[in-house]
Amino acid sequence: MKILFLLLLLAGCSSVDKKPKSLADSINLDVRELKLENGMTALVVPNAKLPIFSLYLFYKVGGKNEVPGITGASHFLEHMMFKGTAKFGKNSMDFLIEGSGGSTNAYTTNDQTVYYENLPSAELTTILDIESDRLANLNLDEDEFNKERAVVLEERKMRYENAPKGQLYLEMILTLFKNTPYGTAVIGEIPDLKSVTRDQIHQYFKKFYAPNNLTLVLVGDVNEEKAKQLISQKFGPIPSSPSVVAAHAELKDEMFEPKLKSDIVIDKKGESPSPIFMLAYPTYKVGHPKGYALDVLSSILGSGKSSSLINEYTLIKKPVTTSIYAAHQQLEKAGFFFIGGEMVRGVKLEEFRKDLTSKLKSFCETEITPRNIQKIKNNYLTDLYAGLDTNAGLAQFLGDRQLLFGDWRFYKQELQLYENVTVKDVKEICQETFLKPSVFVSVWNQHK
Amino acid sequence: MKYLFLSLFFVAGVAEAKSTFLDSINRTKWGDLEVVWIEDSKFPRFTASIMFQDGAITDPVAGLTQATLDLFASGTSKENQRELSEFFDFYGANIKHTVTHEYSVMSVQALTKDITPVISKVCEIFKDARFPEDELNSYVSRSKSHLRNLVTSHSALADRIYRNLSLKNTAYDRPVEGTLLSFEKMTSTLLKERLDLLNRTKKVLYISGPPEIKAMKNILGKNCNWSNQNNAAVGTLKKPTEESVIYLAEVPGDANQAQIRIGRYLTLDEVKGKHDQFQFLSTFLGGGFTSKLVQELRVKRGLTYSAGAYVSMQRDYGRAGIITFSKNETTAEAISIIRDVFAEVGAGLVSKKEFEHQQNHLIGGYAFGFEETTAFLGQIMQYDHQGRDLKELVNFPQTIKNLTPTSLSQASYEVFPWERMTILVLGDKSLVKSLSRIRPVKIINYEDFL
Repeated sequence: MKILFLLLLLAGCSSVDKKPKSLADSINLDVRELKLENGMTALVVPNAKLPIFSLYLFYKVGGKNEVPGITGASHFLEHMMFKGTAKFGKNSMDFLIEGSGGSTNAYTTNDQTVYYENLPSAELTTILDIESDRLANLNLDEDEFNKERAVVLEERKMRYENAPKGQLYLEMILTLFKNTPYGTAVIGEIPDLKSVTRDQIHQYFKKFYAPNNLTLVLVGDVNEEKAKQLISQKFGPIPSSPSVVAAHAELKDEMFEPKLKSDIVIDKKGESPSPIFMLAYPTYKVGHPKGYALDVLSSILGSGKSSSLINEYTLIKKPVTTSIYAAHQQLEKAGFFFIGGEMVRGVKLEEFRKDLTSKLKSFCETEITPRNIQKIKNNYLTDLYAGLDTNAGLAQFLGDRQLLFGDWRFYKQELQLYENVTVKDVKEICQETFLKPSVFVSVWNQHK
Repeated sequence: MKYLFLSLFFVAGVAEAKSTFLDSINRTKWGDLEVVWIEDSKFPRFTASIMFQDGAITDPVAGLTQATLDLFASGTSKENQRELSEFFDFYGANIKHTVTHEYSVMSVQALTKDITPVISKVCEIFKDARFPEDELNSYVSRSKSHLRNLVTSHSALADRIYRNLSLKNTAYDRPVEGTLLSFEKMTSTLLKERLDLLNRTKKVLYISGPPEIKAMKNILGKNCNWSNQNNAAVGTLKKPTEESVIYLAEVPGDANQAQIRIGRYLTLDEVKGKHDQFQFLSTFLGGGFTSKLVQELRVKRGLTYSAGAYVSMQRDYGRAGIITFSKNETTAEAISIIRDVFAEVGAGLVSKKEFEHQQNHLIGGYAFGFEETTAFLGQIMQYDHQGRDLKELVNFPQTIKNLTPTSLSQASYEVFPWERMTILVLGDKSLVKSLSRIRPVKIINYEDFL
């Protein structure tokens, strides 16, 4: 089992059976865990191969936590988190980080806001100081806030208003999850971005930025004891927030169930000379057992040159699409399976849509073979290697699991679940998924 | 474990560790083939990148080398495209390629246990690729349609047009990816001839992986039939056409944001021996959140979301540029600020603090270039291609440390003389008025660049 070898090398396993009963039982990522009294979780993986480390901070707050009027608050706040604290003046964080040779950035999704740094080993104390200080004492300067508003609006234009592919994705999400907490633009609606106040963002910050809503992951050339001591020292005194627990409890699973009753087709006018499209079906939230079969299904249908959709529509004598792919995306509370691509000029959009939805159903019978499933499992292994090749990759891998499943050890179960996926599982989920109501969105300059 | 050597290198003094650093790179010859190998047993997988010292510069039809490698696995006398795809996908083998004007690289990544079947198949294709007409026609149809749809990405379209404008009348002005017209001229015979040429071109193999990777030697020797008859391709060097205008590429619809590209072509004489100095310049101007342009455009004024600078160097030429965007109302202002930054840095009006900050940025970040062995190999490949001694890579932190504010201003003055800059704005035609206050505006049709 090569994956066993991988994880042994990666983190130094403590014990391994020579003839493992199952993949999941055989591997142990050597992660050192720290739980602070204020509810914060820290994971540390020492790796002294190079004098560098990666630090990831996962806050459990994202688009789904926003309410009408403050859409985009999580992302706006992400920008403001770089604007200084009482201790680290305006923009000084970036200078401290880059001035030591490091890099930093952040991203916001529907479920989380993640800050990360890659730094030389000597900078551990400094960065923990910065991260703890911006959690405890963020400066939300009014002038900086208004200046950053312009930057966020430019980012939105770049990603959506001036990018047909962004428009397509956004329209699909808004429609599929309409009237659920996922049915908003993570970057925010323009009127909200223009009207949101510094005080509203500050309230949002106070509600969600607390140690009991944070997972910190540190991977690289660090001394475990010293790192734990520093983390406790810097983050330990920050009080937890009872309101964040209540805020998460308010978001019940049933609120996220897509309300689609029938197929929806949306023709959106946009500056694309040939139609670009997305077809989406609702699925299950992250960790749902059926999710693993759906992952396998998405790879069989639309990943790699030998996949079904590419050989049906792209790599053929008279191509229908210049590109086509399938993916399964799972969020904390819901999921969706989607197929996207770009059509060849001159192909009739409506005919293609009908053909695609019909072919998907027939693929459930013809494409789910033992060989195809084995192929996807082989590819999963090589993808996993690629993902865990760096300190940052491992930090993200662990943090995602801790945040979404509440336990980084869940990767064991995941590996087992992938290993157990059968032809029958994939066929069943294929038939179930493609009978559900769907959303088909296309962006084209010929639409009215 | 070679990572240990690298680690030692960073911990120990530079002088002490130089030999250790270079010792981690194994150079050998497998027959005629030059091989560069770095041992990496972190994962049971390997990467093999074959660098052909020929690229788009000798394409008889624009985009031919790119198409040849795009269609590499489109069929042999024994197997069709689907069968070949199925083979590589089943093994989880990842095959990628890069084509530049000066060189082409094909990289294969797969599990170590699969070296024999995967590399044997790659060799088989190099010997027997047929480029079936049906597959070529399909490729041409898809490529043309995709190119016509490039307007869906203003950034990618601006890059393409800027590249063409700034390299106009040089040996590099034809797009590596091909054009709507050139796709029509491609035939199976031309592609086959191109692959034959690559088979005979001087090439170097860069590999990383566990020691078992050496098994590749016999497979390549037996199956690949490569030779090194042809020397590295060299273009006829000409000076670019530089026009003192702002090119405005108008896009359809109501674009409320404009893409900005500013820069120029650099001759070999301008570039030679100054790689590290120019890398520092690009970092100083646009290499992170704290760079001069990001501070001036985004942090101080909120005019953009991002700004970047580059001075990229090939073997025989270089390119320098600024990449950013802004809303229509502030596009002219953003360009003026970039001009002012060039003037300021060129005149040496840089504080000691900001100079030293960027020195530390570049020196401190040095180790990250070695975290992934494939990235390290990529650096070696570039040094080899540019004919640079790897000691320069070893000495990089010291070289940066030795730079002075004067050398920075000199570099900026040399690379970014405002009057010689090619300026492209891609956006709405309403920009003409504000842009013409900076330079005369020449409106161009984006479709002429497809």
